[in-house]
Amino acid sequence: MQWFDALVQGVLLGGMYAQYALGMALMFGVMRIVNISHGDLVILLSLIGISMAMAWGLGPFTVLIILVPLGVFMGWLLQKAILNKVVGSDPLPSLIATFGLSIALQNLMLQIWSANSRSLPGEGIESRSIDIGGIYIGLLPVIVLVVATGLTWGLDLTLKRTRFGRALRAAAADVEAAAMTGINPRAVYALATAIAVGILGFAAVFQALRSTVAPADGAAQLIYAFEAVIIGGMGSVWGAFIGSMVLGISQGIGFRIDPGFGVLAGHIVFLIVLATRPQGLFGKA
Amino acid sequence: MTMTVISQAPVEPPAVTVRRQTPSGRIAMTLAVLGLVALAAMPWWASTGTIRSVLVLCCYIAVAQMWNLLAGYAGLVSVGQQAFMGAAGYALFVFAQTLGINPFVAVFLSLLVPAILAVPLYLLLHRLDGPYFSIGTWVVAEVFRLVASNLPLVNSGAGMSLRVMSQYSAFERNVAMSFLCALMLLVTLGGSYWLLRSRFGLALIAMRDNPVAAASQGVNVAKLRFLIYVAAAVGCGLAGAVYFMAQLRINPPSAFDPMWANVAIFIVMIGGIGSIEGVLIGSLIFFIADRWFGEYGATYFVVLGLMTLLVALYARTGIWGMISKRWDAPWFPIRRTLVDPDR
Repeated sequence: MQWFDALVQGVLLGGMYAQYALGMALMFGVMRIVNISHGDLVILLSLIGISMAMAWGLGPFTVLIILVPLGVFMGWLLQKAILNKVVGSDPLPSLIATFGLSIALQNLMLQIWSANSRSLPGEGIESRSIDIGGIYIGLLPVIVLVVATGLTWGLDLTLKRTRFGRALRAAAADVEAAAMTGINPRAVYALATAIAVGILGFAAVFQALRSTVAPADGAAQLIYAFEAVIIGGMGSVWGAFIGSMVLGISQGIGFRIDPGFGVLAGHIVFLIVLATRPQGLFGKA
Repeated sequence: MTMTVISQAPVEPPAVTVRRQTPSGRIAMTLAVLGLVALAAMPWWASTGTIRSVLVLCCYIAVAQMWNLLAGYAGLVSVGQQAFMGAAGYALFVFAQTLGINPFVAVFLSLLVPAILAVPLYLLLHRLDGPYFSIGTWVVAEVFRLVASNLPLVNSGAGMSLRVMSQYSAFERNVAMSFLCALMLLVTLGGSYWLLRSRFGLALIAMRDNPVAAASQGVNVAKLRFLIYVAAAVGCGLAGAVYFMAQLRINPPSAFDPMWANVAIFIVMIGGIGSIEGVLIGSLIFFIADRWFGEYGATYFVVLGLMTLLVALYARTGIWGMISKRWDAPWFPIRRTLVDPDR
């Protein structure tokens, strides 16, 4: 029962990671770019949300409604101002550029919000739980998981069914051929990054509700998102979702074995997947 | 089936000589040798405080040059070299403090650890493509940090002290530190220069410019990358062992501090990637900036981050790239120039 509980908690934790991993899978799948400041953007959005909630007494839902469009705007700006200049076959410029941005963002946040951990007041939902057959499940983690599933489903459908999704997949497969058929790759890229960072708006609210955030936390979020994407298999939205579940379960069980072992267990499962199935659980060899 | 023999007219080799050194290179080489001698002789002219500062500068140069070899030539952008620095640092402490080996022997013995660890790690990480390789190296450094935090052999999260150093006088320690500094630069900078001037250097430069084209010309790109990764692990290990020997204390957050990745990336990108000159310029700039602006803390790092971002966007060759565009006077010439003595 104790292990089943760890499993359930792991799946719920995976829901949180999925919200980080989706944006990364989208950006890497489309532009072959890994945005090193991915985690820092989540923290930045969280801190902005917390400050707004404090200043104007907003509830978490209102904060979410503000943060998601703000994330979309930040993503669009990131693409226009920085990423469009470094996207290309050489991965070095985009890595270095987003690495520099990550250092700058982290320290800027440190300056504005100090190193203290903060969290978003959740009007009680963060402490409510449901009792299912002897296992107490927090209401908030369930909401996180449901939202993560909804986002994955929606993103998958957008990629498969819409005009934008087709343009995106075409640009991902062959930029020049896509441009010849009348697709503007830069516009597609800008929209992809806007969606990716917009999803981080959800992650920002839920992260701040679930636990605390501090300016230096971004690096860990980046690493979890990355591990989830690799475990699941690159370029697949549902792969990133399942990868997040695997990572969450590994950490959940690891934490139950020994509190100092939780995060390490996630890393070890990641390395095992890398050694035995480098294309990821759902990737094509 | 008939065989036709194509007779080849003997081709007279053109009467040219290959020039590999330049006047600027000779001056720089003289200065470099003098600099190394001055470094090794520090105990006789510098205070302990100066030696400590110079030691940190030498570690910056060594780590940056290793990153430069990885990212600038082999196309392996690692953000986790601190894994090897910490591993060698811990190995030194275990050998010298726990096992009682002479610390000055243990420094060299500790280099075995990063060398041995680098082999399986590369086999694992090279499966990751481009940017994913980078974050993969970071995960490895995190794994090292978490393992060290849970390993009783290295006193878990509490860290270790190098108490055995107290049996040596301050002067003896200064001599050892100075000698190690000089050796570290000789191995990392001198070794890189030697490598770049050798046959492998040609292959490395070809690989830097275009790995696919280099492979088509017979360069074994996979093997070369592997060798560079192991060599960089050992170079960073040496820097780590020397740095923590001077610190006398090691704990998991300091041993596997991602700050080193920031420093290496900043130095190489600002100075100029793919050149030894760039590493020297970048290291000096960072060292001076750190002294002058370090007190501004977060603001200083915001500026560093933004500068790295701007260099990646607008000036990818860094300062040395701009200088060498104007003046063709390399400090460490690696080109082969054909000279016709008749002309």
